[in-house]
Amino acid sequence: MIRKVLPVVATLAVFAAACATPAPQQAPAPTEAPAPTTAPAQPTEAPAPTEAAPAQPTEAPAPTEAPAATGVDAITLSKDKPTEILFWHRYSGDAQKFVESFVEKFNAENEFGIKVTVEKIDGSYADLYSKINAAIEGGTPPNIAQAYQNQASFYRLDGNVIDLSPYIRSAKYGLTQAEIDDYFPFFLESDKNPQFPGEVLGWPTSRSAAVLYVNLDWLKELGANEPPKTLREFEELACKASDPANERYGLAWQNDISNFAALVFANGGRVLSEDAQSYVFNSEAGVESLALLRRLFENKCAVEIPSAERFGEQNRFAAQKVLFVMASSTGLPFYADAVAKSEKPFRWTYVMFPQKDPNKPVVDIYGASWSVFKGTPEQQLASWLFLKAFTEPENIAQWAVASGYMAVRKSAAPTAIEAVKNNPRYANFPEAAEAYARLYEMVAFGAVEAPVAGYDPVRKLMSEVVSKVAIKGEGDIKAALDEAVAQANEVLKENAPKGY
Amino acid sequence: MAKTTGLPLAEARRRSAPRGALNQVNALIYLVLIVVGIISVIPFIWMLLTSIKDYGDVMSLRFWPWPPLGNSTPRFDNFAEAIRLIGVDRDTGLPMFFRHVLNTLLVTGIVVASSVATSVLAAYAFAQLQFPAKDVLFILVLATFMIPEELVLVPRAVMMNKNYLNWYNTIPAMVAPFLADAFGIFLIRQFFLQVPRELYDAARIDGAGHLRYLAMIMVPLAKPAIVTLALLEFIWTWNEFRWIQLVTASSNMRTVSVGLVGFLQTDGGSQTQLAMAVAVMVVLPIIILYLFTQRYFTEGITTTGLKG
Repeated sequence: MIRKVLPVVATLAVFAAACATPAPQQAPAPTEAPAPTTAPAQPTEAPAPTEAAPAQPTEAPAPTEAPAATGVDAITLSKDKPTEILFWHRYSGDAQKFVESFVEKFNAENEFGIKVTVEKIDGSYADLYSKINAAIEGGTPPNIAQAYQNQASFYRLDGNVIDLSPYIRSAKYGLTQAEIDDYFPFFLESDKNPQFPGEVLGWPTSRSAAVLYVNLDWLKELGANEPPKTLREFEELACKASDPANERYGLAWQNDISNFAALVFANGGRVLSEDAQSYVFNSEAGVESLALLRRLFENKCAVEIPSAERFGEQNRFAAQKVLFVMASSTGLPFYADAVAKSEKPFRWTYVMFPQKDPNKPVVDIYGASWSVFKGTPEQQLASWLFLKAFTEPENIAQWAVASGYMAVRKSAAPTAIEAVKNNPRYANFPEAAEAYARLYEMVAFGAVEAPVAGYDPVRKLMSEVVSKVAIKGEGDIKAALDEAVAQANEVLKENAPKGY
Repeated sequence: MAKTTGLPLAEARRRSAPRGALNQVNALIYLVLIVVGIISVIPFIWMLLTSIKDYGDVMSLRFWPWPPLGNSTPRFDNFAEAIRLIGVDRDTGLPMFFRHVLNTLLVTGIVVASSVATSVLAAYAFAQLQFPAKDVLFILVLATFMIPEELVLVPRAVMMNKNYLNWYNTIPAMVAPFLADAFGIFLIRQFFLQVPRELYDAARIDGAGHLRYLAMIMVPLAKPAIVTLALLEFIWTWNEFRWIQLVTASSNMRTVSVGLVGFLQTDGGSQTQLAMAVAVMVVLPIIILYLFTQRYFTEGITTTGLKG
């Protein structure tokens, strides 16, 4: 009998392996992919939609100068001669629906005869990046595409992505100073790369922050009245909450490098030097960040969520298996649904990531921008006009509501905040709805990771170090970081513009 | 003396011991295979169970939320809900999922038919015919195995572009790289080599040419190998993601695998039960096909040297 059954079992095993469903390509960044860049930004003006910001922000310099006549003004677009442009994105759900309906409306109503074709690229940001690179090689890139700042810099190396500043400054088609001032300066700054001085390589449409999701009821049981503000409090509470025997932990950790970068920022460090000449995540802040993570894992205060278990941290949070989750603020509606449907719903919120020095907070803010690719002068202008229309206050407010991102314009923020507050989804979670409002206060303390070409492989290097040194607890922290930074700087050098 | 009396005993031990050892080895192999088989099936069971769970049950990490362990009821609506969420093809009015299924069936059908046909013909030539540089050509065919897929992916995609073949976003672009398969040629050739040359000589005496001999004798003999190849090609093409994603632009040109990945890749969070419902629908045809062709598949891998 066994001889009859076993060959079937064996072939079934071979077959099972062969016909496994296709996994999402490349380990995707769990919530958000590679993040932006520039230096831990100077505080910029926050809308302070709800309460006062933790510290007094100052107004950042406007990213571009007042509108002035440029060559762009000479281009004419007309309904008699429609200009066709192609837009690639990878949004899904409500965000996808909004983009598609906006494009339909724009095509029908714009006065320039612009016809936008929108195509959703199924897959991760890495898949979109591969597809764009293949299209560039074939000479047929889209006119507009979602791109992280480091990816836009890569496209820019060969001149495939254009600088938007002449369009922004255009007297005829650009933005007025008042309009420019309406954008959060940090968001506009985050699309600049010191390697391409003065250039704007993308237009911010989607931004979110690395935040800490907190189970407030559990926190209260632990005797804490409010979420941790310092990294020390955070570690103490995470360990106090942990009960490995019952599979309960203080922190759910996805080995997403944006989480590590957020820790480095919180410790007062940075990923890339301000002048983009070298990676610096091996600083004291980097060492302290890895040491903190190593202690959390060694003391069984944290549990790693495997990358294959996409959004597994949300399930565990909803099942009250973890007290804290480090994740993107865009997860807000998903956490609300998860907790609402869980066996025992509880009070929860998200807060600014705990800081080494809460008086000098730095928050990792990221999100893909929309970059414009080289085309005819008319297509480039049409692309800019589409971006400009999309980020009009009323549109960007609706977009923020549909996508869960922050509204990138100050005048749009109150509408988005109000919509979240009035959303029945958050009726039982007032603290969570308030968290979205407080998100805008964090913009003043925003920092970007590395806007330079080649940051994707560097993220992989960093991820390997975190996995080996912090999660598995192997080797010397400083030595591992130094080695990773040395390799990262090689990548930086290889991908730097000529003469930089 | 000891030697003379000891020899028969040693001989006896040698004869009986291997049989016992062999049984033990076999038992161990079977045990390992059973364990591997079970481990391989666990993800499928998890996928299947998750696809009919309520969102709350997924969030509560309950493995079996239905009676007798829980009070939930299986939620088969997940399948309809997932299909609804994938959207509608504006051109045909069909749910996009079914459009993806139709595309996949078309692409898979073309690839399976073509790769089997080209493999059989080329394998016959390499196994049966004599022609100049035969071995070199065969080595060149095998050498294509050694080239990583990633290396040729972008150049191939560029060739589909409007500046070259202008096949971008068309069925020809989706199937072109898979119409002939070096693995298939190798697999069928291995089988053809086992057929005695005398059969061919006898067929020649009866007046059969190469094509007739191939069609009437070799192909029926190689049925298990051909079915194995067809099944493998079906699975590979059904699951193909990267190429289809690269050479298609519009959603209604995509296949189920690309659609599935698009459904799985969301920002901020996901509805796991709906994702698994789509995964089940994507995998189901392969499982059904395998159940019907299992016998040939097993024969194929044991008669072509694939078993190692």
